[in-house]
Parts: sequence; structure tokens; C-alpha cells
Amino acid sequence: LANLIYLHSIREAVTYINAVDSSKFSRLLSRILQKLHLKGERSFSEDEEQKLQTALALEKQALHLVLETTSFLLEQAVYHNVKLPSLKQQLENIHVSPDKAEAFCQAWASAGPDMVEKIRQRIFAPKKLEHIGWQFNLQMARSSQAKLKAPHAVLDLGVQDEDKLECQQNIFVEFSHQELLEFYNKVRAD
Amino acid sequence: MADSVGFLGGRIPTEVEIMSKHLKDLDKELFRKILKVVVNAIEGKDCGGAMADIAQNSPLSEEMLSHIVSGMYELLKEALRLPTSSLKQEVFKEDLRGLRISEEFIADFASVVFGNRSTLDNVVKQQGPRIPSLEEFRWRVDVAISTSSLARALQPSILMQLKLSDGNVHRFEVPVSKFQEIRYNVALILKEMNDLEKRSILKIQD
Repeated sequence: LANLIYLHSIREAVTYINAVDSSKFSRLLSRILQKLHLKGERSFSEDEEQKLQTALALEKQALHLVLETTSFLLEQAVYHNVKLPSLKQQLENIHVSPDKAEAFCQAWASAGPDMVEKIRQRIFAPKKLEHIGWQFNLQMARSSQAKLKAPHAVLDLGVQDEDKLECQQNIFVEFSHQELLEFYNKVRAD
Repeated sequence: MADSVGFLGGRIPTEVEIMSKHLKDLDKELFRKILKVVVNAIEGKDCGGAMADIAQNSPLSEEMLSHIVSGMYELLKEALRLPTSSLKQEVFKEDLRGLRISEEFIADFASVVFGNRSTLDNVVKQQGPRIPSLEEFRWRVDVAISTSSLARALQPSILMQLKLSDGNVHRFEVPVSKFQEIRYNVALILKEMNDLEKRSILKIQD
């Protein structure tokens, strides 16, 4: 974070941040932190941003700068899994005022570790297994075979796209007793 | 007169009845050729060429040939429906004698139904409504050391790939806890299967 002080935009952002009302800023922090793990989603809707402009007495450009910079600072905190004393120090280094630094630290203390954990759980694979269901039947007959009495299982694997863009997709797989045993042997050797 | 219903059911299918009439004057070699083609057809092999060959070179009219083929097909299909534990060879032969089919031909039919049935059984098992079954299953375990969001992630994850019998390939990640759930559930189903197979309902022979 030390290098940031030389970035003009950061300095400008910090000036705005320091000027903002403290309690409103705390709420802002919580909200941004909550939505940090959602890729590509804006923390605030258009309407909300309009309201924020009025509430914080900031022009549109200034508001965006504040939001982006705050998000960036929090993302860096997550990336390094920063400890509280270190966070406080780093913020002071970029001239964030003590009360705002305190607001950052409080927000981080309450929601930071959870956020790190959530992001840690996040994955790159296209889909993730969310739900497992199954059905165990005794197949008595088919159109091509009579008098079966064959144990038969169906596994229902519910997978979800990581970004929750599509609804859950169910994969159904059927198994005979033998096939299920083979499958079990494959998932055992782990 | 039989007291019990034969394997062909209460009412003999017309195709089989008509076939049995035509079989009377059929040459043995030709019968065997046609039988072989019908068995290949049931197994799903390509038999168009062989059939055309027979049609051209035999003295049978097209109509007669088609009656014989459809009768054989129907007869074999019905016989293959029943597991070998339930349809006994003697009963099968008796039923065919009832149709006045000659002993030689009965012996040939019996050799198909009671001989090596593994291919036929596999084909029959594939038919009927099916949910895709698992053809190939692969997995790997990764540990993410760092990502663009976290310098030190150290998060293990499991990637699974399922290739199903309908041709679809599904690739997805499985959190470690879900993986344990899969193992637990599969073991549970297997236990239930074992319990069920021990119970007497399955020992009833019909």
C-alpha cells in the first residue's frame, strides 16, 4: 500500500474520504465489504448512487472515486489477509484521517475474516456441485425384460454456475448394483 | 393341452402361428441361415446384406420370407424377456411342440435361447426407458496456492468429470464437504441394496 501515496487519484480519493461524514462512511464500508466477493456486481445501484451523492455531498465523479478507492483498499486488505495493526498503519501512511482509519478497522474486524474465507471458497471451475439427492428402486420389469427384481439407483447431482447466472442444473445418473460398487471404489481411493 | 400358459402368453401372436405353418416345408439349411440373420438383428448387428442375399437366392416368396422372419423375431423376443431361471428349456420346447414345429427346429431355437446369451442379454438390457449411466469418471484434487483475490489461498478443491452414456460430459467442482457427502450417500445406497438383496422377497422364484 505504501506505493499508493504517489498515485494522484488515491490522494484525491483520500481527501474526499476524509471529508465524508463518519457514520455514513462506516455504513458505506460495511456495504462494500459485504459485496466484495461478488464478481462484476456493482455495490450500489444507480438509484442508490444518486442518493449517496446527496447524502455525502459529493459530485458524481467524486463519489465514483471514493467508491472505487474504498473497494480497492478493501480488496488489497483481503488479498494480503491483512492484520488489524498493519491495516491501521497502512491507512495512516496514505494520510487517511484517524476516524476514517478507525472506521476501516472496525469494518474489517467484524466482516474481514469471513470475507477472506468466502473468497477462498470461490472457485474457477464452470460449475459447482451444490446438491446431492438419490433414489433407490427395485426394478421389476421393462418392456424388453420381465421378472427382473433388479436393485437400481439414481443419483441426482445439482450443479450451479458459479456466478449464479443459470439456475441449478440437475444431472441424473443411473446405476445398477455393480455399477454403483465400481463408482464407490473410485471415490474411495482419495 | 397345457394347464399353464405357455411362454408366448395366453394368445399366440399371429406372426408366430403363421411362421409355424411355413416352417413345415422349409429346408433345414435355409432355416438356419434365416435364424442366424434374425439373431444378428436382435443383437443390433447390421444384417441388411445377408437378408438381401437370402431373399435373392432362396425359392421362398418375399411374403413367405417376411412371415418367417417376423415369426422368428417375435418368438425369440418373447423367450428372451424371461430370465433363464424362470423359463426352463423343457417347458420352452414343449410350448414349441404345441405349435407343431419340428424337433430339429426346436433344437435350434433352444440353442439360441439357452446357449450363450450374454450378448443378447446386454442388448435387451439397453433397451427401454433409460436415464444416462456413467461411462467414465475422472477426478483430480487441486490446491489453489494463490489467486488474483488472495495471495495465500491454500484451498483444496476437487474437480470431477463425468462422461455419461448419452454422450454428455459434465465437469464441475466439488467442495471437499460435498465430496464426503457423495461418499457417504453412495455407501448408504450400497448398504440398502445389500439389505434388500438379503431379504426373502428376492428369493421368491418365479
